[in-house]
Amino acid sequence: MILALIENAFLSILGSAIPASTVVVLAATGVMLNERVGVLNLGQEGLIGIGAVFAVISVQEWGIESSWLALLAGMLGAAFMGAAFALGTVVIRANQVLLGLALALGGVGLANQLGTNRTGTPIPTETQFQELDPFGVFTDNEFFEAFLYHDAVTYLAYLVVPAALWFLLFRTRHGMTVRAVGESPGAADAVGASVMGIRFFYTVLGAAISGAAGAYMVLTITPTWSPDIARGRGWVALAVVIFAAWRPFRVVAGALLFGAMISFETTAKARNWDLPFLSASDMGFLLSMLPYLVTLIVILVPAGAAHLGRRVRATDAPAALAIPYFREER
Amino acid sequence: MIAGYRLQRRLDADARRTAILRVLGAVGGLVAAGFFLLLTGRNPFTILADSIEAVFGSKRGIEGVAVQSVPILMCALGVALSLRMKVWNIGSDGQFLMGAFVACGLGINIDAPNWLLLVMMGVGALIGGALWILVPAAARAHWGVNEIITTLLLNFVAVQMVVWASLGFWRDSSSMVTQSTRIVPVTLPRIPGFDSVSIAFFVPLILAVVLWIVFRSTKVGYEIDTIGGNPRAAAFAGINVPRRIIVVMLISGAIAGFGGFLQLTGAPGAQALNGGGFSRSYGLSGFIVAALAGASFLGVIVAGLFISAMFYAGIALQTKGLSVYIIFAIYGLVLVGVAIGETAARYRLQKVATDGGAASAAPTTPTLAEATP
Amino acid sequence: MSTSEHRLAVEVRDVAKSFGGVLALDHVSLELREGEVHALLGENGAGKTTLSNILAGLYREDSGSVLVEGVERHFHSPAQAIEAGIGMVHQHFRLVSSMSVAENLHLGSPDTPKVVSSRTLVASARRMMDEIGLHVDPTAKIWQLSVGEQQRVEILRVLARGAKVLILDEPTAVLTAKEARELFGVMRQLVAGGRTVVFISHKLNEVLEVSDRITVLRGGKHVITRDAEGATARELARLMTGEEMGIEVEHREVTGPPVLVLEGVTARNSRGVEALHDVALTVRAGEIMGIAGVSGNGQTELAEVITGMRTCERGRITIDGSDVANTSTRHIADLGVGHIPEDRIGVGMVASAPVKDNAILRHYRTDELSSKRMLKRERILAFAKDIVEAGRVQTRSVHMPAGQMSGGNQQRLVARRESLVADRLLVAAHTTRGLDVLAAKQVQEAIVDRRDADCAVVMISDDLDEIMAIADRIAVMYEGRIMGVFDRAEFDRERIGLLMGGQTETEVVA
Repeated sequence: MILALIENAFLSILGSAIPASTVVVLAATGVMLNERVGVLNLGQEGLIGIGAVFAVISVQEWGIESSWLALLAGMLGAAFMGAAFALGTVVIRANQVLLGLALALGGVGLANQLGTNRTGTPIPTETQFQELDPFGVFTDNEFFEAFLYHDAVTYLAYLVVPAALWFLLFRTRHGMTVRAVGESPGAADAVGASVMGIRFFYTVLGAAISGAAGAYMVLTITPTWSPDIARGRGWVALAVVIFAAWRPFRVVAGALLFGAMISFETTAKARNWDLPFLSASDMGFLLSMLPYLVTLIVILVPAGAAHLGRRVRATDAPAALAIPYFREER
Repeated sequence: MIAGYRLQRRLDADARRTAILRVLGAVGGLVAAGFFLLLTGRNPFTILADSIEAVFGSKRGIEGVAVQSVPILMCALGVALSLRMKVWNIGSDGQFLMGAFVACGLGINIDAPNWLLLVMMGVGALIGGALWILVPAAARAHWGVNEIITTLLLNFVAVQMVVWASLGFWRDSSSMVTQSTRIVPVTLPRIPGFDSVSIAFFVPLILAVVLWIVFRSTKVGYEIDTIGGNPRAAAFAGINVPRRIIVVMLISGAIAGFGGFLQLTGAPGAQALNGGGFSRSYGLSGFIVAALAGASFLGVIVAGLFISAMFYAGIALQTKGLSVYIIFAIYGLVLVGVAIGETAARYRLQKVATDGGAASAAPTTPTLAEATP
Repeated sequence: MSTSEHRLAVEVRDVAKSFGGVLALDHVSLELREGEVHALLGENGAGKTTLSNILAGLYREDSGSVLVEGVERHFHSPAQAIEAGIGMVHQHFRLVSSMSVAENLHLGSPDTPKVVSSRTLVASARRMMDEIGLHVDPTAKIWQLSVGEQQRVEILRVLARGAKVLILDEPTAVLTAKEARELFGVMRQLVAGGRTVVFISHKLNEVLEVSDRITVLRGGKHVITRDAEGATARELARLMTGEEMGIEVEHREVTGPPVLVLEGVTARNSRGVEALHDVALTVRAGEIMGIAGVSGNGQTELAEVITGMRTCERGRITIDGSDVANTSTRHIADLGVGHIPEDRIGVGMVASAPVKDNAILRHYRTDELSSKRMLKRERILAFAKDIVEAGRVQTRSVHMPAGQMSGGNQQRLVARRESLVADRLLVAAHTTRGLDVLAAKQVQEAIVDRRDADCAVVMISDDLDEIMAIADRIAVMYEGRIMGVFDRAEFDRERIGLLMGGQTETEVVA
C-alpha cells in the first residue's frame, strides 16, 4: 500500500521532471557551447525571455501555427541578441561579465515589454508540442509513460542534441579546433584557426539554443506568456554547466536534477504533503526554495570536496573562459 | 608620405580616462535607448521632457526620487565595495530582502521602546544581509567558487522567504491585502519640510563619504584595493586574502541588508513586507549604479541619484508609454555602453611611425580588431 | 642579390616594424640558406623575436619585404606562413595542455580527416613521428609531459605541416643540459635533410656550438652576419652589447654567522606534486648563495617556502635561529627578509595601482607610514619618491600606474623596495630575466650591495654565467633536491652543468 503510493509518486515526479527539465537542459546546452569556446554569457535569463516572447509573437501576431516554426522564431530572436552579445564580447572584446549582465537585464526588460499585452492568452493546443507515441506502446503502462511518453523537443534535448554535440566536440577535426579555442586561443590561432569566427559562431548558436529553451517553455510547459518567464532557470543553467564539467550528457543529468526538484515541489504541493512539524502550505513555501538551494549545493559540493581532500582542484572549465583574446598581446 | 593610424592597446588604462569613457558610454547607451523608443513608436524627446517634468516639475517628484534613491544607493554601495576587490556581488536584492526580513521579524514580534526597537531592527538587518552572503563569501574565499552565480541563486531563495512571511507566518490576517505581513510599529522621522522623505535619505550619502575616506586614507582601504589589483601581490605583502574577502563580502551584504531596514522604516507606506515586490529589483539598479560609477564611492552618489530619477520617471510615466520593463531594457543598453566605454579606454589612436624612406607603409584603418599592444 | 652558390630559403629585405612609436626593427636585411642552422643573436629587445614573428606571420611588417624561395610574400596569419613553409616554435608553447599529444599534432591541420576517432589520431601521430624521426607518447596529455617533450611536440607539429624553415625562439632556455644536447642533435639532423633552422638565443656558447652562420642584432638593427667558424664568444658579446659586459664583483672569505638554515624541507608545488624533497641549506650573513638549476626544478618553491608564501610540509626553516616555517609572509618580512619574486608583475606588484602604492606594499604598516588605522599620505609620497630616486626608477610620476613602466624600471622598483625590507636575508629569483644590460647590472649591484651590508642573499637564476660571476657559493638544484654545494674556489662550470642535468656528484666524479 505504502509502497504503491511511493511508486506512484515517484513515477509522477519522474514523468513531470523530464519535460520540466527540458528548458534547463536546452539552456544549459547553449551555455556549454558558449563556454566551450571561451565565452561566458551570463545573459541566459534574457535569452530565454527573448526566445519565449518571439515564439509567442510569431503565434499571436504572425499567425504561425506550426510549433516548429514558432520554436524557430524564438531561436532566431535569441540568435539576434546573441549576435549583438558576440559583437561586444568577441569582436570589440569588452568585459563579458558586464555585457552578460546587460543582456540578462535588458533582455528580460525587452521581452517583458514586447509581451506586455500578451499575458494570459494561451498558446493554442495545436501549436503546443505533443507527446509522441510512434509505436503505440509508450502509453501501455505507467513506467513507459513516465520514461518515454514525451514530445519531440524533449527527445531532441535529451538525446539527439547532446549526442550530436558530443560527436562534434570529441570526434571531429572541427570539434578539436573548437575545444582548442576555448582552452588556448593562442594555440588555435597559431595553427590557423579563426578564433574570432569560431567564437562568434558558437556564441550565436549557443544563444539560439537558449532561445529554444524559452520558446519551448512558452509553447508547451506553461503554455502562455507571463512576465519574467525564465524565473531563474537561466541562472540555474549556468550553474548546471559548472556541475556538469562542460560535458554534453552530464549537462542533461545536472538539469534533470533541477527538474526533479521542481516536479517534486509541484507533486508535493498538489498532494498537500506535510510533515509533523510543517503544515502543507508552509511545506510548499519551503519546497519553492529547494530547486535553487539544491543548485547552489550542487556547485559547492564538488569544490568543497576537492578542497577538503587537499587535492588541488583540477577545474574542468575551459582555460580561456571569459578571457578576451588579443593576438599581439605580449 | 602617408601617415597611418593604428589603435594601440595598453594593459593599464588611465583611471580618469576610463571614468570619462565610462560616462560617455552610458550616454551612448541612453542615445541608443532613444532610438529604441523611436522604434517602438514612442517619441524619445517627449518622454525625456515628460521625465524631466515628472522628476523636477513638482516637489512630489523630487521627493519621490529621494525616497527611491535610498534602497538603490544602499545596494549600489554594497556592490561597489565588493567591486573594489573585483568581487561581483549580484545578490544584493536577496541581501536587501533578508535585511528587511530580519528587521520586520524583530519589529512585529518584540515589545520594546521605539528607539530600542529601531536599533535592534537596524542591527538585525545588518546581520540578516551579512548572513545571506556568508556561504558565497566563504566558498569564494576558501574554495574559489565564482560568486556571481552563488549570490544570484540566493536571490530566488530570499524572495521565497519573504513571500512565505507575507503569506504565511507573519501574515496580517486583518488586512485586505493578501500578501502582506503585519506592520512594524516604528518609523524613522521625516526630514522637516518634507512629506515623504525620512532621515534614511542621509544614510547612503554619509556612508558613501565614509567609504571614500576609508579607501583614500586607511590601511584597510589600501589592503582591499591591493587585493582587487592583484591578490597574489596582496598575499605577498602579508595580507590575509581569504579573510579579507570574507569580511568585505559580509560588509557588502550588510550594507544592502541595512538598506532593507531603511526601506522598511523610512519609505512611505512600506512598513510591512509584501512579497518579493518589496524590492523592486533595487539590487539590479544598484549594480548598474556601481558599474556606471566604476566602484568610486562619490561617483556612486551621482550615478545613483541619476538612476533613481530614471527609475522614478519609469514608474511615474507608466500611463504615458514608459514602464519598469522599458527602464530595465534601457539599463541593459546603458550597461553595454559602460562596458564598451571601459574597453575603449584601453585603446589609444597612434600614428604609425613612418619616415621618408618607408613611404610604402600601408595606412591601416583604425579598427578595434586591428589592435596591437 | 644572391651571389653565393647557396640556395636561399628566405630573404628578408629592409624590414621595419614599430610598436607604439618605438622602432623594434630598424630596416633589417637577412638571408637564410637552405640546409643551415642560422643563429639570431642579440640582447632582449634587440629585435630577434619581432623579426621571427614577422617571418612566422604573427606580426605584419610596416615596410620592407620577405621573399620565400624568391617569391615576395606578405603574411597575414601564421597559417599563410606555414603554407609557405615557415614554421615557428615559440618560447611559450602554443599547445593545448588539456589535450593529448596526438590531438595537438592534428589540431588545425588540413590533413586531419574531418571525422576522426582518437585511435586514428594516435596511429596517424605515430606515423608522423616515424617519418620525422622524433618520438613522444602520442596518448599523453600535454600537461603530463616534461618541458623538453612539449618542445618536441611543437617541433613535430611544425614539421608535420611541411615546414622547410623552422624558427626556434630561445629553445634552450627551458631545457636541461641533456635535453639541450638532444635538441642540437635534432637540429643537425634537420639541416642535414635540407631544412633551414633559425636558432634564436643569447647564449653564446650554444650559438657557437650548433650554428653554421650567425647574425647579430642590436637595438633593432642588423649588426653583422658571419660564419660561426672562427667566431669567439668575446667578439660576439661585444657585438651584441656594444660594450664589454658583465659585472665585476669582489669576493671575500665569508665569516658571518648563519642566517638562514633549512633542514629536511619538503613542499608541494601548486599542482600538489612534491617539488622540494628534504632540502638542507645554510646561508650565512654577508654571502650570496647562488641557486643554480634549470627552471622548474624547485627553485620557485624554495623561494616561496622560505618567504612564507608556500606551506612547508616537513622540516625546519630558521632565520636567525627562530623557526619560521608556516608562520606568515608578514611575520617573516618583519624579521628582515626581503623577496624579489620570480614573477614580478604577477606577484611582486599591482600593475594597475600607482607607483607610490607599489612602493609602500611592504612598508605601509610601519609607524613611519601609518598610524593605527590611517595612512600618512604625505609621508607615503616622500617615501615613494625616495625609493624611486634611490632605486634609479625612471617614471614620469609616482602617481602613474606601475604597469606602464618598462620591465627594467618595474624591477628596479621591486629590487629597491625589497632591499629596504632585507635587513637579514634577501631572496632574489631570476632578477635579471627580461632586462636589458644596464638594468640587469643595476639590479645585480643592488644585490651585491645588500651582501656588503652583511645581509644573507639567496640568488636564484637559470643563467649559470650570472651565478658564477656574482655568487660566493653555489647550490645546484635538480628535481627538488640540492645536488651539491660549491665554494667559490671549487666553481667548475662543467661539474655544475652536469649536476644541473641530474647526474649525481658521485657519477660526476667517477
